[in-house]
Amino acid sequence: MATTPESGISNRARGVRGLSLFLSSIQVYGIAIFLSFGVIAAISAILGYPVFEVLETLVFSSFRSFAGLKSTIKVSIPLLFTTYAFSIPFKIKFFNIGAWGQMLLGGAMTAVVGLLLADWNLPSVVMIPLLVLTAILAGGVFALIAAYLKADYDINPIVSTIMLNYVALQCVAFFCTARGFTDPKGGHPQTMLLPSSAALGFIGGIPYSLLLAVLAVLLVSVLINRTRLGYEINAIGYNPVAAQSYGIDFRKTIMLTFFFGGALAGLGGGLEVLNIHNRLLVGFADISGVNFGPLGVLAALVVAGNPMAVPVASFFMSVLLVGADRLQRTMQVPVELVFLLQAVIVLLIVITRARLSAKR
Amino acid sequence: MDAITTFVSQTVLYATVYTLVALGILIGGRAGIFNIFGEGILLTSASSGLIVASLTQNWFLGFLTGALAGGATGLAYIYVHETYKINQFLLGVIFFILGAGLSDLIYKLVVGVTLTPPIAPPTPVVGGRILSELPILSGFLHQSLVVYFMYAAILIAWWFYYGTKVGLETRAIGEDPKAADVVGVNVTLRRYLATVIGSILIGIAGAYLAIVVIKTYSSGMAGGRGFMAIGITIFASWKPQKALVGGLLFAAVEVLSFTLQIVAKNFPYQIPLMLPFLAVLLIMMIFKKRIEFPASVGKPYSRE
Repeated sequence: MATTPESGISNRARGVRGLSLFLSSIQVYGIAIFLSFGVIAAISAILGYPVFEVLETLVFSSFRSFAGLKSTIKVSIPLLFTTYAFSIPFKIKFFNIGAWGQMLLGGAMTAVVGLLLADWNLPSVVMIPLLVLTAILAGGVFALIAAYLKADYDINPIVSTIMLNYVALQCVAFFCTARGFTDPKGGHPQTMLLPSSAALGFIGGIPYSLLLAVLAVLLVSVLINRTRLGYEINAIGYNPVAAQSYGIDFRKTIMLTFFFGGALAGLGGGLEVLNIHNRLLVGFADISGVNFGPLGVLAALVVAGNPMAVPVASFFMSVLLVGADRLQRTMQVPVELVFLLQAVIVLLIVITRARLSAKR
Repeated sequence: MDAITTFVSQTVLYATVYTLVALGILIGGRAGIFNIFGEGILLTSASSGLIVASLTQNWFLGFLTGALAGGATGLAYIYVHETYKINQFLLGVIFFILGAGLSDLIYKLVVGVTLTPPIAPPTPVVGGRILSELPILSGFLHQSLVVYFMYAAILIAWWFYYGTKVGLETRAIGEDPKAADVVGVNVTLRRYLATVIGSILIGIAGAYLAIVVIKTYSSGMAGGRGFMAIGITIFASWKPQKALVGGLLFAAVEVLSFTLQIVAKNFPYQIPLMLPFLAVLLIMMIFKKRIEFPASVGKPYSRE
């Protein structure tokens, strides 16, 4: 019954196919990364920056010092979650552009519940799981709206998730300025600090949220590879017509993939609040002025939305983001140059992949 | 009466942005290309248009730059899409990010960090004494020349799609590219043209936003209007005349929320700011049956 599409292929054939896949992906990434670094080198040369130093800072800032590595990890955690938020629904060919909104709402609800419970003096063992659960539910339920609109009203999730992003953005702005939540002394719109029992804390400068990120990676791989839902997701992604004729419930699968995607983005937002800022503030889901939503889409497209490869992709993008920040601070190279580089890398990867698959 | 006239005037000022972007998206969509990167074009054209306009102190060169930036983005997009048949939405997200990055990059490189942001030169305003003194109507008529350009663009688009043979053919591409191809319409060429012309209109909207509405540039100044215009286009069933209605409606909500921020200080101003986005979804839910969609929108076409 539960056969994978490859079950008829012998191990040897699978090995050969795996090897050729591996070679073709080296081709894809090699060409794309080589070309896009060429583009960045050309632009920096035209603008009069030292080309070699720019490229070196961009790539090696994360690895030259422990501080660099720590900030790379700090950036890659929220990015990992938004990348999953796009990748999981993408497996069944739906676009969740709403990771930003789901992250914002997850963070907002975490802060709101945390502040409402502040007077109860709950211990950390109760408080933190409760708030983590709040973040998961807030993000998941928010994404469910888009899934419901797709399933029952046939509204394209791209449109609905983009609209919902801006609703969530205003929710964050609302709570950051609402009486009872806002911190009147903050120059920036932000809420009061959460009680100390809600702080996740750091170990050796690395946030504890890393543990939850690792747990999420394990759970997603179990979900995709070992559960019935994962099998159904793979089946729809592989051949939607066949999947439907086998009686797979599309509606349920849409709902569940969006819920899991949104839940992960919400968790990412909640962890930013609990671990990094200890409060809600406007712009908490941004890095250098760009938010983690589109960055997650880019990271996901690097690996063609393959959930198994998401950690690698989000780490790779974080390395570039940390390098970009360093470039701006030490050499006054605008960070936007690197956002452009990332978009160009992804564009080239997508194009090369399309060309290779057209040849086959 | 004066208050109403001011309100109308402000609404038309903002509606021009929404309507031009919605019209640009609509023109692409009628030929089967769903432009979701309007926000990216808005930003790039806003920054490049404003910089050129303030450096040369010539509003027209600013608009020309904005239009060219839009057209170039559209051309790059349609080239990649038509050549490699990559999913339009996926490509659209990438182009949105490209545009958003490019806008701030251009601004930082040319202007840098400065305490005195570049100021846009004034644009010619239509209307002598008679037009500017009419109650309410002057809100529509006593406006920048670009607003008149928008009125004209709507009229021309409406006439083109419903009054000419070429327009009918273009609508046919949006419905069924294969059938249009069979009767001898060059689908690829039309899709190129539609995307580039649509993107030029969005580029003009971006330059208008920076030069006429805000009069300077700030990072992310499009504020989601490029995305909201997608909602307007859908609400308008991809019809030019209805896009103007949708644009006015959305602009009215935006102007109302500005007014609320000033008049009622304690009222949470974020709620009216959410409204347009929720309205898009509600309208799509309520008018599900009555909203028409060009059948081939978003789908690649290859002759096989």
